[in-house]
Amino acid sequence: MSGGTSDAPSDLIEDYLDRLLVSLSGSPRQVRHTLAEVEAHLRDAEAEGIAAGLPEETAQVQALERIGPVHAVTGRPAGLVRPSAALLRRLTLTAALIGGAGFVAIGGAGLVGRLLQVLKGNLFMTTPFPPGTYTQADCARWLAGDPGTRSCVTAMLADHAFDYLLQATACGLLGLAGLAAYLFLRRRWSDRATATALPAGAAEGLGAILAGIAAVACFGQVVDLETVQRGIGVGEPLSLGIAAAVAAGAFAFALWHRLRTVRMRTT
Amino acid sequence: MKAEKLKGHLDLLLLSVLSRGPGHGYEVITRLKVRSDGAFQLPEGTVYPALHRLEGAGLLASGWDVVAGRRRRIYHLTMAGEAALAEQAAQWREFSGSMTRVLGASALATAGGMA
Repeated sequence: MSGGTSDAPSDLIEDYLDRLLVSLSGSPRQVRHTLAEVEAHLRDAEAEGIAAGLPEETAQVQALERIGPVHAVTGRPAGLVRPSAALLRRLTLTAALIGGAGFVAIGGAGLVGRLLQVLKGNLFMTTPFPPGTYTQADCARWLAGDPGTRSCVTAMLADHAFDYLLQATACGLLGLAGLAAYLFLRRRWSDRATATALPAGAAEGLGAILAGIAAVACFGQVVDLETVQRGIGVGEPLSLGIAAAVAAGAFAFALWHRLRTVRMRTT
Repeated sequence: MKAEKLKGHLDLLLLSVLSRGPGHGYEVITRLKVRSDGAFQLPEGTVYPALHRLEGAGLLASGWDVVAGRRRRIYHLTMAGEAALAEQAAQWREFSGSMTRVLGASALATAGGMA
């Protein structure tokens, strides 16, 4: 069997064999033997079609129609074909990409938040707890963390803002680890079956949708805080919204680029 | 003939085709079509699980060879396969004969009723 990569031009028989490979059960030897048998069969049928004057692609289509669906060869009904290992790999890659990028975006929100904190202050960043919902002990702890102030509310706001920036930074680092895992796994699972287990651009499209929803939700909260609380605590959702919008834009661009590449490859 | 109708008889057909000489999967399907005058049409892929099942049951054996530049798995009947073929063929002839007799009598009755 000729080796295929995700960058190789489309060959219908290769695609069929990829699907068969991930659907076959049995020992590695049985799988190899069945794959070799079916490939010889398909190439024979293709050669027969070409000898009869058909173009190569039509001959391949005819060969595949004659052999029937993958489950005909595996001998199991379509519904009983085990979950494709390639599909699981692709789903893992998708989760690593979207999760990694999402956490990196939260880390980016931390940077935006830090900028807003410097420009507009802690009251713009976070909302203070209502009076009566915290104790003297809480106040003492917040004041200990901010010795430069005597106001409990000011110290509370500084503490909240610091917590937000710290958590965002931690998320950013986690996201970078997720993206590193994604790059490592993508290199490791570069086979065609994994690349074609989901439609091209599925991960980018899903990422764009999720990030877009997050951005809309955050900006909605910004509007709500602006109107109800006169801008107090707007900084957190605003920074998250900006980061989510940037992530949505990046995913949308990646989706456009991916689809364009696929279209150019097929024409 | 529809593939569904062939399902129950596929083992017998494959044993019969291979009783004429060893062959690989594509060859078996081609012989089946030729010998049935194209009447037996089934998704070609369904032949492979059947061949593997028959091999697992010890009725067929296989080996690898290069034919026309391609590596192929060649199947042949074992002794047990020959015995199974003889038995299944006898059962089929008996069944077929009974069916023919019933249908023949029914056809005569219909013809008589119409006269």
